[in-house]
Amino acid sequence: MTSIGTGYDLSNSVFSPDGRNFQVEYALKAVENGGTAIGIRCRDGVVLALEKLSTSKLQKNGANKRIATVDRNMGVAYAGLLPDGKHFVSRARDEAASWRNTYKGPIPVASLANRMGSYVQAYTLYSSVRPFGITAIIAGWDAETDVDVDGVVGSGPSVGSGGRSKGVKQGGPYLYMIEPSGSYWGYYGAATGKGRQAAKAELEKLELGSKDSAEWISLEEGVKEAARIIYVAHEDSKDKDFELELCWVSAVNGPTGGRFEEVPHALKEEAERLARKAIEGDDDEEEEGKMEE
Amino acid sequence: MFRNNYDNDAITFSPQGRIFQVEYAQEAVRQGSVVVGIVSKTHAVLAAIKRNAEELSSYQRKIIPIDTHYGVALAGLASDARVLSNFMRQQSLASRLTYDRPILLSDITSRIADRAQTNTQQYGRRPYGVGLLVAGVDAKGPHLFEFQPSGVTQEMIACGIGARSQMARTYLERNLDTFESASREELIKHALRALKDSLSQDKELTIDNTSIGVSGLGEDFKLYEGQEVSDWLSTTFENRSGESMEVDNDA
Repeated sequence: MTSIGTGYDLSNSVFSPDGRNFQVEYALKAVENGGTAIGIRCRDGVVLALEKLSTSKLQKNGANKRIATVDRNMGVAYAGLLPDGKHFVSRARDEAASWRNTYKGPIPVASLANRMGSYVQAYTLYSSVRPFGITAIIAGWDAETDVDVDGVVGSGPSVGSGGRSKGVKQGGPYLYMIEPSGSYWGYYGAATGKGRQAAKAELEKLELGSKDSAEWISLEEGVKEAARIIYVAHEDSKDKDFELELCWVSAVNGPTGGRFEEVPHALKEEAERLARKAIEGDDDEEEEGKMEE
Repeated sequence: MFRNNYDNDAITFSPQGRIFQVEYAQEAVRQGSVVVGIVSKTHAVLAAIKRNAEELSSYQRKIIPIDTHYGVALAGLASDARVLSNFMRQQSLASRLTYDRPILLSDITSRIADRAQTNTQQYGRRPYGVGLLVAGVDAKGPHLFEFQPSGVTQEMIACGIGARSQMARTYLERNLDTFESASREELIKHALRALKDSLSQDKELTIDNTSIGVSGLGEDFKLYEGQEVSDWLSTTFENRSGESMEVDNDA
């Protein structure tokens, strides 16, 4: 990178002559060194999955969980500097609790993403702090309600001063990803960390973003795809052992009862078995493909 | 040198996304003398080599009891460990006062981790130059946690940190499967053997330089030093004269 040695990359919150903040870009490098994390927004819920690379055989299996619950219907997965992730989660929990205190209800996923985006952005404003070395994926389910809402963009005024749209459906599954710069977007499928390129390529093959939500993949398919994608993303660092972490959230009448929680053991095992099979199958297919040509 | 621009404080990322001040703090841990920890289904054990500055001086404390149910072993800057262990004592007492229960080891570890993280994200501070092994028994059974200056904490089955600790870790990895069902005495012996593997050729374990902390189900954390460890030393390393012949236990 041409930035090295120019002096504009030594302190946070400093603009370079072409308007960049290099410390934020370097923070992104820290993210890219971490294990892969993905999120999939499905028809009836959201899945988060994580590749947890093990640094030592002496680690306790099944301990050291890295996908965190923020509120009962919402969770976070992150890639990058793990202590920064814990800091992020801790702040997210404070935001969710403070929202409950003020509004007597759970924070909508979009609002949490907004607040956390602002919080992360604040760490790009001062030279006395450094940006977060993580990219976080937030998943949650907002309770569904049919309400009349004010001035939906594009609907045009029909009643009253600002216009009012009748029976607009709110709530459902939501997925957001926040970067070290503080910028965030809603996603159908999100991937970050070392294996994000491979993961993104796989996510793009899924039926996620179509107009008609009935066509989206189901939550259970999402779980299986998530496991498979993490296994695919791990192919590049095959030599290292890893543990798969899988969490999901659905509506109150769905399999998680409206809670963000770990995918049950039996389903996770099944998803991992299919993932391993798919990867071995891939190799076979390639060979078969060549034969046909 | 290329490195130098990015290592002046703990809040500057290098172009590769690394924070050198934190990595240097981790180097301070590697300068400290070795400590080892192991857990079984029933017990958690810490063992440490104490160092003395000279022949006539005393040996530096390596294992600090915090609450009745747990203690920590340190490698690195002892003064930083004192700051952290004082904080841990306060938090442990606060848990007993407010909730009338001994603090969970996962909780206390995560609290010092959060403090350590702050030190790497705000200007004017430095990372802690110490690594800790937190071991003991709480409501969820025996536990061992490793704490690093970066704020990374991990729950472990066994762990060794400090100077030449790679040798100890190799020993621990080789015997990993035996720990879960090991008895109290076996666990202590494993810890001592792991320690010994990390020792330089001219040194050996003595009652002056060896420190052991044990806690178990229904057994409070207790620190054993001096004469109290002599039996363990003699039963673990049967031949004690000069270069002791260690019994090869992998056979």
